[in-house]
Amino acid sequence: MPHIVLDGVGKRYGDIQAIGSVSLKIEPREFMAVVGPSGCGKSTLLQIAAGLIPASTGSVALDAAPVTAPPPSVVYLFQQYSRSLLPWRTVRRNVEFAIEHHGRPRAELRDRAMHHLARVGLEKFDEKYPWQLSGGMQQRVAIARALAAEPRVLMMDEPFSSVDALTRLDLQALIQEIWMAQPMTVLLVTHDVDEAVYLADRIAVLTHRPSHVAEVIEVGLDRPRDAIATREQKRFLELRHHLLSSLLRRPDAA
Amino acid sequence: MRRERITGFAWGLGTIAALLVLLELVVEAGWVKRSLLPPPSAVGLVLYDLLASGEVLPPLAETLARLAQGFAIGTAIAILAGLGMGYLPWLHALLEPLVELIRPLPKSALVPVLILFLGLGEAMKVTSVALAVFFPGLVATIQGVRGVDPVLLDTARTFGHGRLRIMAHIILPAALPFVLAGARIGLGLGLVLATLSEMLAGQGGVGFLILDMQRSFRVRQMYAWIVILAVVGLVLNSLFLALERSLLHWQHAQATATH
Repeated sequence: MPHIVLDGVGKRYGDIQAIGSVSLKIEPREFMAVVGPSGCGKSTLLQIAAGLIPASTGSVALDAAPVTAPPPSVVYLFQQYSRSLLPWRTVRRNVEFAIEHHGRPRAELRDRAMHHLARVGLEKFDEKYPWQLSGGMQQRVAIARALAAEPRVLMMDEPFSSVDALTRLDLQALIQEIWMAQPMTVLLVTHDVDEAVYLADRIAVLTHRPSHVAEVIEVGLDRPRDAIATREQKRFLELRHHLLSSLLRRPDAA
Repeated sequence: MRRERITGFAWGLGTIAALLVLLELVVEAGWVKRSLLPPPSAVGLVLYDLLASGEVLPPLAETLARLAQGFAIGTAIAILAGLGMGYLPWLHALLEPLVELIRPLPKSALVPVLILFLGLGEAMKVTSVALAVFFPGLVATIQGVRGVDPVLLDTARTFGHGRLRIMAHIILPAALPFVLAGARIGLGLGLVLATLSEMLAGQGGVGFLILDMQRSFRVRQMYAWIVILAVVGLVLNSLFLALERSLLHWQHAQATATH
């Protein structure tokens, strides 16, 4: 049984049909990326999948149950990570925010926050405030916080689009490492073709507005994938070429 | 930076000292009647007596107690109402026109009304202060709540936080800079209404004394109490600013970190 099912999801804003009709099935513990040209409504699609905003048409199901509000097993990683952290809380207290309403004792909250900070390499920064950290480190805090909630589904909206190129490679490797250690269902929205090929099991390509799924591609690269070597493999380059051609609407030469 | 500020402050003190010397000379030269404006040195002596004898304390305590009660009540109601109106669009639609109607009205104009309803006692004075404090606090809180970053709210929702927790852990802290700025304006207005209500219906307190001294031609005492009131206003404002800085340490540090 698929873990997440998008069935004919459409979204209309006034006169603009942003999303035409998107149908996708995501299997349990699958890493699915969604790419598309800018303005195709891929971030909107993710927000609908997460239950943050309602669809105009169609429906979303998680574990075969309809999604109408943010489900507890789903955690969402925002593009604007620095705005998603609470500036009045320390790094550790930010991570605790994910779990502090589950009625656990203080000491346990602290231990779990520290555990997840260690997973992203920030255990020494627990008493800092988010604004004292670099952009990449802030995104690591957001990742640690997402992990602390022990989600079964992780949804990411262009999570690395506003960090520098090297930090991006670092964070992508971190996400793969975390996912391999503890597989969960991942839905990643990105405009970065490299990122989609490097991370995903399958890639759904959206068309221009009103968007629908143009194709779903099986990546089929071995894991663990290497930040440098994998990007030089023939299969990687072929997929990259194919995706870029289709996003730029050029005839595929490959 | 710090040194520049201290030098600037010294210059400002110099201006005040120069003005006092000037007044002293003007009065000594006989250009202004002593019954209207006694020399600052004479006011200073009265001031010293008031302070040294402890005579200053009972009226000051009376006024401050009034201000504290009215401020606490007015601010508490302003924050609750502001959270509600900022968060619930229907409540905002329901109450906003009423607020906008009463808000521009100088609250001093309502003191006679309050005297009608509550008499000349403590209840009237505390209510006057609360009323003055309420509106700036309310407007600032609404503004703060409405300005909360939607990404923060969505973050809280995706982690499954309920409305009350979102209110306490996201909206209130995020709106706190606005709430405190509004409360500080309210504190100043509250002091105005505390002294005014004492003048209109007083048996004691600093406001009552200023008027009473003027009516009994004890002009030096009158000026001494005015000076005391000025210092009280200054001290209260400084204390409040210090409180703001400590509660909002993350915000001040954030501002300097990004510059």
